[in-house]
Amino acid sequence: MSEEKKLSRRDFIKAAGVAGSATVVASALAACGATPEPTAAPTEAPAVQATEAPAVVGKPFDGKTVRVHAISGANYDELYKLVPAWEEKTGATVEFVFKGNGFETDKRLVQDFAAGTVDYDVCWDHSSFFSQYVKADGLEPLDDYFSEEELSDFIPRLLDATTRDGKLWVLPRHFDISCMHYRTDLTDKAPETWDEFKQMALDITANNPGIFGTQFAGKEEALTGRFYEVQTAEGGQLFNENWEPTFNGPAGVKAATMFAELYAAGAMPPDMTNFLWEDVAQQFVTGLIGMYTEWFGWYSYFQDPEASQVAGKFDLARQPVGDGGIHSGWAGHHGFSITKAAKEKEAAADLIKHLTSVEGNELESTLGILISRQSVWDKIIAEAEGSEDPLAKKRLELALLQASEDFKTPPLIAEWLPLSNILYPILQQIILGDIEPQAGMDQAAEEAYEMMKNAGYYS
Amino acid sequence: MSVQTLGQKAPRKRRQRVQLTERHLPLALLLPSILIILLIVGFPMVYSLYLSFTNFNLTSPGNVEFIGLQNYINLLTEDPNFWKTFGRTVLFISLAVNIEFLIGLGIAQLMARAIRGQSLARTLMMMPMMFAPILVGFQFKWFFNAQVGMINNILYTLTGEPHFIPWLIDTPQGFIALLVAEIWMSTPFMVIILEAGILSLPQEPFEAAEVDGASGWQKFRHLTLPMLMPFIYTAMAIRSLDVARAYDIVSIMTGGGPGMRTELIWTYVNRLAFTGKQFALGSAMSYITVILSFAFTYMFFRNVMKSRWEGAMDE
Repeated sequence: MSEEKKLSRRDFIKAAGVAGSATVVASALAACGATPEPTAAPTEAPAVQATEAPAVVGKPFDGKTVRVHAISGANYDELYKLVPAWEEKTGATVEFVFKGNGFETDKRLVQDFAAGTVDYDVCWDHSSFFSQYVKADGLEPLDDYFSEEELSDFIPRLLDATTRDGKLWVLPRHFDISCMHYRTDLTDKAPETWDEFKQMALDITANNPGIFGTQFAGKEEALTGRFYEVQTAEGGQLFNENWEPTFNGPAGVKAATMFAELYAAGAMPPDMTNFLWEDVAQQFVTGLIGMYTEWFGWYSYFQDPEASQVAGKFDLARQPVGDGGIHSGWAGHHGFSITKAAKEKEAAADLIKHLTSVEGNELESTLGILISRQSVWDKIIAEAEGSEDPLAKKRLELALLQASEDFKTPPLIAEWLPLSNILYPILQQIILGDIEPQAGMDQAAEEAYEMMKNAGYYS
Repeated sequence: MSVQTLGQKAPRKRRQRVQLTERHLPLALLLPSILIILLIVGFPMVYSLYLSFTNFNLTSPGNVEFIGLQNYINLLTEDPNFWKTFGRTVLFISLAVNIEFLIGLGIAQLMARAIRGQSLARTLMMMPMMFAPILVGFQFKWFFNAQVGMINNILYTLTGEPHFIPWLIDTPQGFIALLVAEIWMSTPFMVIILEAGILSLPQEPFEAAEVDGASGWQKFRHLTLPMLMPFIYTAMAIRSLDVARAYDIVSIMTGGGPGMRTELIWTYVNRLAFTGKQFALGSAMSYITVILSFAFTYMFFRNVMKSRWEGAMDE
């Protein structure tokens, strides 16, 4: 029998201790950014390497890394082509730690701010969502990083939309606002009031078999936002000055009733409560819709004769007014913020300046996106004079007019999406006839009151 | 070298020490894995259980207070949507699993009897399982689309008149559409398990029944079905757990709507916890859902054990 080495408990503990310590040390080194070196020391003189690769002099953020949590998509990614030029100019490196669509990005940001796991310097932001991040103490105010002169070129209402508690939180990149799209082969004028809109939708439906007079995006925040802009035009508010829900008042009930009556009359597609942005756009380009309220951003798709059956057959108009004498104009802008946890705040601010610069705006304007700088607007409107597209100049002037006068964001509170979460299923029930408009609005107001109460709005 | 050999020659104290070491060594070696599993699986579960007893809200993460069972009480006594969603989910599980079982058993019987082409049939049969649920959701969303969907187009072809039936909107069509998608995707699983069971059954009882002149139905009723019971209950238990977690297909096809008409537990949890930011309430609801899953699993496994015991008694 051969003598084998036996493993005693003490030996095991000793070995495990050494292994454990090694693991801990290695982890600690890794956490500190140190790379464990091989035990054999290099014999070459390191000074030679230093002279071979001298540090670049004069670049302000040399060696720094700016981590970015970004929105992604065909139109959004184009701007990121400016990043290499900024890296070259500053010596910094940009690392995209996340890219996703707007709702995914928002969801991740909310969770990161709540869990305290933010490890990036710049984040995509939106005028409808930023209040959540401010409330979670996740953002750095931008006022110290941008001078008044630097901000003076941005459309004022865009800056106002993300100014809260006297501080600016988001630097606007581009915006969108809803306007009336109507088929010129079905009607010769746009509706000027929401009452007229309703009647025209019914008439188009009656006179054009197979075509629906109108439609709305029918679920989630999309539906809540559409309701919000109609009831605002009708003279209503979502909340009073004490943050108590008031959307169950006459204006809100009138708006909800309009949705329900149009649906009941067959003036909207039967499955509109399952539509989101892409679906309503698809309905319009297939020629099934007479008129509806839509974002400017879809324009080039609608005018593409290969993709759209309504190319050259529609026009744009300012949103109708309601009983309140106010034009609808649900709007929002995308932008960039600096996180409170950012390690490279100065570099982050500089990167944001670069991405929202005149150059950045000009690049995005070529994609048909509504950009945020007045000087670039002046330039592209002047250029549109000579365009072959008959709507090119009108579209830009209309968008700028609406941005200046009708731009309305949802309330600047963190509870906008939770409110929407309460409101939209009940709006769907109203549209489908499962509940009467007044009863539904009352129920939603009651639930919203509870939600706001739990959020600490009432003493 | 065996423990016994060492033990016989070593002094008493030494022997105890070695035996202790040998007994604890596997545990010691497993310890890192156990710790990692506890960290990855156990910690989130315990933490979410803790959150379910608080008022944690994603819009005000800094303001967390312990509120005991309040979230559970609110869900169970004050939220009418919870019970509707809960009932709808139980109905969805029951219908999906039982219909899958009936279709699956039929197909498995046919495939087990097939003389040729079994491999090809099995491969084709497994194809729906290869699709990600999210893709199945998109596929069936298109099938049931009111304007350009395949179903309405077939109706148009058959009747010559346009149909704009909103399958995903109306009640109960929306619920049925979700069931169809779920059943299409998961019946193959049932087929595979049941066919494996059928092929593993002993042939002697069937030969004896043949000699006694038993009909095909009698053989199925009194031999195949009882002997297949452990397979049936196992497959149903696994599927119940799967269906109880149904989220992707529902989220894509209807989002639980419209107006919560097709809301199931997990889409409701998502609406509460993430869209509504009420993370604590969502956690509480998740735990209630886990209890539902436990109940189904317990019921099926109790039946598995019972059927195995009855099988053993018959032998």
